[in-house]
Amino acid sequence: MWNIVRPGMSPKEIVKVLRETEAVMLTSTGMRDAGQSDYKNRHRIHDLVTLAPYYEKMGLFSAECHGGARWHVGIMNRRESPFEEIRLLREYMPNVLLQTLIRETNLWGYRPYPKNVIEYVVSQVDIDVWRCFSFLNDVRNMRSVAEIVMSRGRLFQPAISFTQAEWTTNEYYLSVIDDIVDLCGGTDEIILCIKDMAGVGSPKRIEELIDAIKQKYPDLVIQYHRHTTDGLALPALLAAARAGAKVLDVEEDSLTRFYGQPPILAVHAYLEEAGIKVHLNREVAEEAVQKIREWINHYYWAESPFKGFDHNVTKHRMPGGAFPSSFEQAEKGGFLHLMPQILRVMSLYNRIVKYFDVTPGSQITWVTCCGIVNKYAKEKGEAGVQHVIRLLTKFVEEVDQDFEKMEPHEQEELLQLFRNAPGDFKNLILGKYGRLPMGWPADWVYKSAFGDEWEEKIKERTDLSPLETVPPDDLERLRRELKDQIQREPTEEEFILFLMHPKDAIDFIKFREEFGLTPLVLPTNVWREGLKKPGDKVDFEIDGKPYTIELVSVGAEHEGLIHVVMKVNNKTRVYTIETPRAKKKEVRKAQGPNQIGAPITGTIWRIGNPERGTLKVGDIVRKGEEIANLEAMKMENAIVAPFDAQIVAIHVKLNETVEEGQLLFELKPLE
Amino acid sequence: MEKKIRSVLIANRGVPAVRVMDTCRDRRIHTIAVYSNPDRLAYHVRLADSAVHIGEAPPLESYLNMEKIIGAALKAGADALHPGWGFLAENAAFAEMVMDAGLIWIGPPPQVIRAMGDKVEAKRLAQKANVPTIPGLSDVRDINQIKHWLEEENITYPIMLKAARGGGGKGMTRVNSEDELQVAFAKAKSEAMKAFGDDRLLVEKYISKGRHIEVQVVGDFYGKVVHLYERECTLQRRNQKIIEEAPSPSLDEDLREEICYTAVRLMREIGYSSAGTVEFIFDSMTKKFYFLEVNTRLQVEHGVTELITGLDLVSLMIDVAEGKPLPVRQSQIKTNRWALEVRINAEDPITFNPSFGTITRLQLPQGPAVRITQGVYEGAEVPPYYDSLLMLLMTTGTNRNGAIRTMDRVLGRDLRVEGVKTIAPLLLSIIRHPKFQAGHFSTSFIEEHMDELVAMFEEKNTEDEVLKIAKYVAKISALGPQNWM
Repeated sequence: MWNIVRPGMSPKEIVKVLRETEAVMLTSTGMRDAGQSDYKNRHRIHDLVTLAPYYEKMGLFSAECHGGARWHVGIMNRRESPFEEIRLLREYMPNVLLQTLIRETNLWGYRPYPKNVIEYVVSQVDIDVWRCFSFLNDVRNMRSVAEIVMSRGRLFQPAISFTQAEWTTNEYYLSVIDDIVDLCGGTDEIILCIKDMAGVGSPKRIEELIDAIKQKYPDLVIQYHRHTTDGLALPALLAAARAGAKVLDVEEDSLTRFYGQPPILAVHAYLEEAGIKVHLNREVAEEAVQKIREWINHYYWAESPFKGFDHNVTKHRMPGGAFPSSFEQAEKGGFLHLMPQILRVMSLYNRIVKYFDVTPGSQITWVTCCGIVNKYAKEKGEAGVQHVIRLLTKFVEEVDQDFEKMEPHEQEELLQLFRNAPGDFKNLILGKYGRLPMGWPADWVYKSAFGDEWEEKIKERTDLSPLETVPPDDLERLRRELKDQIQREPTEEEFILFLMHPKDAIDFIKFREEFGLTPLVLPTNVWREGLKKPGDKVDFEIDGKPYTIELVSVGAEHEGLIHVVMKVNNKTRVYTIETPRAKKKEVRKAQGPNQIGAPITGTIWRIGNPERGTLKVGDIVRKGEEIANLEAMKMENAIVAPFDAQIVAIHVKLNETVEEGQLLFELKPLE
Repeated sequence: MEKKIRSVLIANRGVPAVRVMDTCRDRRIHTIAVYSNPDRLAYHVRLADSAVHIGEAPPLESYLNMEKIIGAALKAGADALHPGWGFLAENAAFAEMVMDAGLIWIGPPPQVIRAMGDKVEAKRLAQKANVPTIPGLSDVRDINQIKHWLEEENITYPIMLKAARGGGGKGMTRVNSEDELQVAFAKAKSEAMKAFGDDRLLVEKYISKGRHIEVQVVGDFYGKVVHLYERECTLQRRNQKIIEEAPSPSLDEDLREEICYTAVRLMREIGYSSAGTVEFIFDSMTKKFYFLEVNTRLQVEHGVTELITGLDLVSLMIDVAEGKPLPVRQSQIKTNRWALEVRINAEDPITFNPSFGTITRLQLPQGPAVRITQGVYEGAEVPPYYDSLLMLLMTTGTNRNGAIRTMDRVLGRDLRVEGVKTIAPLLLSIIRHPKFQAGHFSTSFIEEHMDELVAMFEEKNTEDEVLKIAKYVAKISALGPQNWM
């Protein structure tokens, strides 16, 4: 019997098994982090579920199949619901622990949710192992998730976000772990995860850290999660196991590229050779590795354009899970050539504002740094980019961040550095996400971000956890809002999707109303590219009933329409498809103080604000009032009125994609 | 005086035309359709043996244009004309014109149509035949007359104002109190003038919680009149029936016998021949019924009667028109099942706004207890000029529950109409409502329960799912990978 831990076992029983077993166990991230790190989370459940029968027999500790960005990308890009995925996996691997990755108060989103939303959502998701991390290592923020998970009898797995820096000492981590042990009432019902999300821990450092933890908490079961980005994952895993880690994160060899977890078969062989027993039904694991080769080539397009290991990750610290999406963003935004400079700025930035580069921190770092580089590139070309790197290098490396030691014109420039930083950066340094691990950044950062209002803003800054500061949501009101949007009573699951990502959930629900089970039944090549030539067929089953769709012909485009003839179970049908209209519309840019432009390229998903609802022409807005919200790279950006004003014109429609600087509002200042 | 009918022109379109043609085709009678411009490719035209174009889209230039229709019948060599229902079906002048042109009119005698078309006259004749009528006043000229009558007869509000020439729910105004009387009276008068060219009104006590029950009757030229039992047509919205059934769940055997024989008595009295209906309002509190009107035509809902009796009303109408004596005796007419009909109208199920366009998908129900009369086909256009009735769906059962159960399957799992909206979701909600299932409802059921009725619970159907998938495959095959992926 390979399944020595199973759903339904109490956390205490699971921890006991791990303490007593001689071997090291493995968590496969093949269904989540592997896909997130090297394939932009595009692996579809249709393909992943083919692994489930193997997982069922492999003897895994758990299958990480849920959470992180998989939830959001699922509804946004794969059009799959995380609830559907769980149901399918439970059906095909009932004896495997299902594991999620959850971002304390940020859950599976990118902003702190109110306590009542956290409690509601966490209590509705059928997951066995809850790995919970804080990008600030602010253990207070984990409280609500911990309470609900533990009271449901599920295994809570608090994680410490790990990076290798001069300030991340053993003492520091032990103090975080003290808080965790306090929160969880001891070490008998939890597993501690060391989350090395960028893959930067050197084998020696990892061994030391685990050793230090084991000396203080000998009974604490430790799981080591690590990305392979620096190329040193295998020795690091061996070091961790030697120091006493009982569970290691791996993925199937055929999935591995550069930024995910190390290959399962290689880890098994390497550890066994070193004399460490690994609990794994290797024969079945080999079959799983082979199974993946049947579909992995359908995802070539989702791989990062940036290839190869990157030992410099130890400096810029971009987490594995953010690699493909960041490079994709750079490619789409036309600044892929600036990536080396952006990574360099990140490595300097993260010494000025100290937190852990993992969601949502990694997005904040990314948007802030690529904003700075792009601004300089746009204004002063490549020379400008080199200039800002020199400026920051001098500040960080030469004068040791002593602001006074910079020349006056350099100080001036630094004081503009964060002026256009995203709203989430500003929220972060105001404490809206929780306490920063090494305290608040220097005052000049506030001056730079907020200008003249910086002192006022610092007064707003809070040391409290968002669990205490974020006001509760009115769930019934939100439910009605969703009902209004989709014109029917939402299901419980749809409501939870909406609570996480309001705009994307509605798009998802509408997509599924139009296209039904499509995302679950179509093979990936057809899902992505359709049927290519006449006679091509796709076979699938619904409720065990076989169906065949065959392409007969695709007509020529005429006045924006294409007629597609297909045989659907032998019956010929004609579909009229609208093509995206090719007419190119000229974008008007905001000019002068009374015209408000988009701060970055993104989608305007709200006009107005939650307090006042939608704003319209003629409405009076107050200085600082949010008048619209723009989403870009999964981040929300508030657009606020710069002064008391009346809205004269609105040049944007809801859900319109806008360019940076595109005119959104015209305002008339109030006398 | 028997004359064999060999060729019939059907002066109608859509569902009624198709229904009449079905029987004609059974009897090997040549069928001639008429059509307006937008109906060139309509289903009734396709189904007919031959067809004649009669004009532009507006009804007055086509389906209501008597000269053109009679001209078409003569041109096509028809020897008889069936008006279906609606359009010219209850137009006495048209019936006379048909007969004057030497054609056989498949319907009741023109003088009967005329007499029953006048509500005042109809009520007078009903009273003469000892048929209970709603307390009321004919030929009302001013509101003082009404007030005086209310006092004299000790009648309380609400009351109903009706156009003397009205019918089919048009030109009726309900008055709830004396305060409303003045305004309502003026409105009813002007509406009656506009709709029927005659502003005479009559006033009646309003039977609240009333149920609408009608008796199907057929007579021949030899004074023989039989009934085919009753139908319940209580479920209406805006005075238009949408669900009908036979028999009525409101009547016991004694009442059934009484109401049916009352209808026969009246029809015999007025010299009725062909198929017709006597409508009553039934006060379920007092168990009393009152005469409402006589419909001198084949009715939309005749099919439920055919299903419970096994008789073909259109065929009987043709027999009678050919001058044959009725082929059935009253004692031979027996019912042995329950039948339910719903009208699939192309309308928004919530607002009832008509919905036009192309029917992109039409999946029809089947089964041993299902009858469909369709006026459209997949790919057909629903033009904006005419009635919104797309098809009639009927189900039967050994009892009422059985018929409802099959209708639930038909509406929820089988029927699929795409491209235009239909009221099918509303109909499904109604037949699932506990009060409907218990048989406890009145003519105001839909307005009272609208909020509960709009919820849609269409059931999962793998055919629907595969078509959604096919739509996606078509889209991506045409457009390639999408940005959002």
